[in-house]
Amino acid sequence: MEISRKTMEVATAVLTGSVGALICYGSTENGIGWGPGGPEPGYFPFGIGCLILLGSLATLAQTFWKYAGARPEAAHGVSGAVPEEPFINGTRLRLLVAFVLPIVAMTAISAWLGLYIGMGLYIFYTMRVSAGFRTLTSLATALLVIAVNFVVFEKLFMVPLLKGPILEYFGIY
Amino acid sequence: MGNFGQLMDGFVVALTMHHVMIMVIGVLLGLVVGVLPGLGAPNGVSLLLPLTFTMDPIAAIILLTSMYWGALFGGSTTSILFNIPGEPSSVATTFDGHPMAKQGEAVRALTLAFGSAGFGAMVGVVVITLLSGWVANFALQFGSPEYFAVYFMAFASFIGMAGGSPFKTLVCIMLGLAVGTVGMDTISGEGRLTFGITQLTNGISFLIVVIGLFGIGELLLTIDEGYKFDGVKAKLSLRVILRTLAELPRYWVTLLRSALIGCWMGITPGGPTAASFMSYALGKRFSRRGKYFGKGEPEGIVAPETADHSAGSCALLPMLALGVPGSATAAVMMGGLMIWGLSPGPMLFTTRPDFVWGLIASMYLGNVIAVVLVLATVPIFAWILRAPFTVVGPLIAIVCLIGAYTVSNHVFDIWVALGFGLVGYVFKKLEYPLAPFVLAVVLGDKAEDAFRQSMLSSGGSLSVFFEGSLVATMMGIGILLLSLPLITALFGALFRRGREEGQTHSS
Repeated sequence: MEISRKTMEVATAVLTGSVGALICYGSTENGIGWGPGGPEPGYFPFGIGCLILLGSLATLAQTFWKYAGARPEAAHGVSGAVPEEPFINGTRLRLLVAFVLPIVAMTAISAWLGLYIGMGLYIFYTMRVSAGFRTLTSLATALLVIAVNFVVFEKLFMVPLLKGPILEYFGIY
Repeated sequence: MGNFGQLMDGFVVALTMHHVMIMVIGVLLGLVVGVLPGLGAPNGVSLLLPLTFTMDPIAAIILLTSMYWGALFGGSTTSILFNIPGEPSSVATTFDGHPMAKQGEAVRALTLAFGSAGFGAMVGVVVITLLSGWVANFALQFGSPEYFAVYFMAFASFIGMAGGSPFKTLVCIMLGLAVGTVGMDTISGEGRLTFGITQLTNGISFLIVVIGLFGIGELLLTIDEGYKFDGVKAKLSLRVILRTLAELPRYWVTLLRSALIGCWMGITPGGPTAASFMSYALGKRFSRRGKYFGKGEPEGIVAPETADHSAGSCALLPMLALGVPGSATAAVMMGGLMIWGLSPGPMLFTTRPDFVWGLIASMYLGNVIAVVLVLATVPIFAWILRAPFTVVGPLIAIVCLIGAYTVSNHVFDIWVALGFGLVGYVFKKLEYPLAPFVLAVVLGDKAEDAFRQSMLSSGGSLSVFFEGSLVATMMGIGILLLSLPLITALFGALFRRGREEGQTHSS
């Protein structure tokens, strides 16, 4: 599956535009006018939302203008035309998803079982599956990463990381 | 020479064993961050920041700035040896650095880069030493309208000088300001833009934004671009290093021009990346050896490196003296100052002179340490970079996620950082500028406060920004900068029409 750059440009501009609209809406709940104590809390965000909307619409227009102007020229073979560029191709997209999904899974597991278990499983998975090391090597690396992080954060910098129910069951807080 | 005396006091603060050790550690950490693609200076500094909350502010800022120097230097190592910029600001170094390394002159290329970078950084620090006190004194007469005008000018210069689409820059700045307003309103105490999500009541920390946009975003980009090392082996020889250092003064024109460009771009918030590209382009146009640029020309390394580093250090001047950071990393550091309970701006020079001058003195020493360490560690980092990215990538990912968690011990923050990571990846690919985004998040509160206070004092009339010569001048410059893209577009259209007419005539 290939995603074209134009599609992404349009999607992003629509998304930022919607965020702008959402901000405008959200700020009306705080009042966007002039209250007894000066400008109400929503006054500044409302302006920001409007400007985001404006910028997004302009970007959208620019995108359409750029690609619309390009096509007839390209048909005539005139140089300087903008060809249809891909944003990302299928192979790269699969690589990217294969990289992101484990991270999302790790975050979900960490929220539930704590960061140390989350990072251990994640490192084990990437070493074993993505990098193709042997099971024993992967296991050792995962344990090493956990140990290093434990020493650095809990002992050196005294910053406790989330432990989760399993570690707490074993009395590690 | 009041500044000189204060600088000497600063050296007394900075030159303790404790602080020198911190500089060495900071530079080494910075080198790691700079060398690894996917970890950059802004992100590295934000990862380290939560760990400094318990430290003394002087030691903490020395650690962070040393890390910044290290990251700036480390980025060039990979640019030259592997043709992979470790930092966005060292992209221009690859143009001539890598060809030169391929011709078997890797050590000469590295020494040229670090030598000129060191020179650039020194010029930057000297500029800070000479100007910061003066700028701070000048800024003492600022009221809230003036402050708003300064912020306005900073944002306007991004829109006017960024080079890309001004609308994309506008969207980025405004999104950043919007992120800054999420959470409790400082004046009324109402929750804003939280949409009923309780985790948002405390706001979104700029650290989370930076870790997402720069850290995770950069990581995704590295995966997308495919990460292949085509490395050049470098064997260090002291003789070559010394001979190359002796060769440096020959490029004094390029050195001076690039340092000037760097200082200008650093003080106005153009940032190191823009400075290095601009310096490379100008070098190519004005140097007598310009036509050799891109084929391994020494001046092609000297120009971007000098500008990169003088911009990097000068970016700290407006942060200290005005409270307006000149680069994304400086923005993160300014956020750090506020967390440590210091308020950046002119008052800092009178309330905490030991902090300001200790920091400035540490910059001299930190850069010298950085030049030595970066040369000494080239073989180690060249070795580390031979590890496959399928191993290094996940490790960087873990560092980013833990970094996001340690900001305030919330798992929710990790999700937010992941979200910003996706945004950062898409924005970067579509050429939305990320530095103004971060700047806006950090400055959001201050800009809004300045705006609201000015509006309060004027009773809601915008004319407050145009009364008084100082404010009016600054707002005028800001508006001029804003209209710069329009002006250049108009000129461009006229020029193109003229050229087309010329073509039809000639044909």
